[in-house]
Amino acid sequence: MNIELTDLTRTFGRNTAVRHISLEAGTGVFGLLGPNGAGKTSLLRMLATVLPPSSGTLRLLGDDPAKPAARRDIRRRLGYLPQNLGYYPSFTVVEFIEYFALLKEMPPGRIPKAVASAVERVDLGPRAQTKLRTLSGGMLRRVGIAQAVVNDPELLLLDEPTAGLDPEQRVAFRALLRDLGQGSTVVVSTHLVEDVGAACTEVALMDAGSVVFRGTPGELTALGERTGVGDSPLERGYTTALAAARS
Amino acid sequence: MSDPNGTGQDGVDLDGVWVNVAAEVWRRRPGRLERATGRLLRSPGLARALLTTPSLLLPWLISSVLVFGVGALATLGVGQPVVWLVAPAIAAVGIAYAYGPEIDPAWELSCSMAVSDRMVLLTRTVVVFAVNAVLGLAASVVSVGTASQDAAAITFAWLVPMTAICALTLAVAVAARSANAGVAAGLGAWITTVLAQRAAGGQLTAVITDANLYFPYLAVAACCAVIVLYATRPQRGPR
Repeated sequence: MNIELTDLTRTFGRNTAVRHISLEAGTGVFGLLGPNGAGKTSLLRMLATVLPPSSGTLRLLGDDPAKPAARRDIRRRLGYLPQNLGYYPSFTVVEFIEYFALLKEMPPGRIPKAVASAVERVDLGPRAQTKLRTLSGGMLRRVGIAQAVVNDPELLLLDEPTAGLDPEQRVAFRALLRDLGQGSTVVVSTHLVEDVGAACTEVALMDAGSVVFRGTPGELTALGERTGVGDSPLERGYTTALAAARS
Repeated sequence: MSDPNGTGQDGVDLDGVWVNVAAEVWRRRPGRLERATGRLLRSPGLARALLTTPSLLLPWLISSVLVFGVGALATLGVGQPVVWLVAPAIAAVGIAYAYGPEIDPAWELSCSMAVSDRMVLLTRTVVVFAVNAVLGLAASVVSVGTASQDAAAITFAWLVPMTAICALTLAVAVAARSANAGVAAGLGAWITTVLAQRAAGGQLTAVITDANLYFPYLAVAACCAVIVLYATRPQRGPR
């Protein structure tokens, strides 16, 4: 298992963002669904080793990220796209991706090809040497995805990756997700249930810091067959699971 | 987003060929300084992070040289060692703007990297301090002839308060996660100390020439170093 969480909790002062979550995930695409403030981003930040848990245990890629040497090794094998990426306006697309490849301690000789491959995977070839300040929001999101996958991560964490992408790019991105999920663990946090239905092999629904549903997209769809509210079968399953958790 | 498995009619992996071509075309050639720094630090990533430090970029360095130059000229003109009062302030501002969530737009992403943000902070801080010390020393050497105090002592004396002010600025900047707060604290403390010493000793340079202040300066620097170590512990996480 690439992700093993046991009774994981994260608090910020009096607020509990993540509440006693236990779950495991292996190879495949794992969707994290939930309303705003459900705790998805805090959970992803803990998985990305940028936010330590307040209590509970966390094992990533078989190691404990609380230990400095293990954390460094995990980070070399990790890809992370934060919700708010932030970028250096004067960098080109290639420079930005290369910078993070260097910070991931990839062997320098491998970096140019890895960067070119990542740029091509997100279809930014024609913009490879364009300054980031001139790119649209959707293009910047794709740059963020490219830096996340540049090291062929065994654990890929994507927070709202499709925000800002147009429908065509979103479809292509789902194909990329399925491809990446063949050999690594991909965790995707999203509001968009159609992303989960199209790309994820497993889904967890979070509400108020807890996981209130865990199963396949098909099982979530089945929950809402008779009672749910929404435009698609998966949305009906989503609303049914949330309503059941809150009742 | 493309399918990476494209092949030509004769079975050639065209996408693979294209990626190799693109890698050569797009490859960034690091300059001599970056290559040398990478070898010295044994980390090309750390070298790249160092050379992108805002307060080590050319416009910032030119501004620092100008301020030191004006300080040296003022020292020559008025016979008061203005440059030694300016040096700690310039270095402190440079250190505050070396690294942090306000300075680095991709701060959260940087915190998830194998090259630790603490190491980046340490490297950038040391280099910014060293660069400012060299500039201050050069300005000192240019203007020392007119100073009334002992030349050798005064040339290095400002390094001690500079260390304390830089450490204070860094400690506040990392604890508050705000470069501006660090600058305000550092400059505020320095100006207050200068004015207080002038009031007590009657000379503007008393803050540097009074040997009794060296121990308090070093004590402040040591305490601030501990604060920096605590505030940048890996368990803290980003805001």
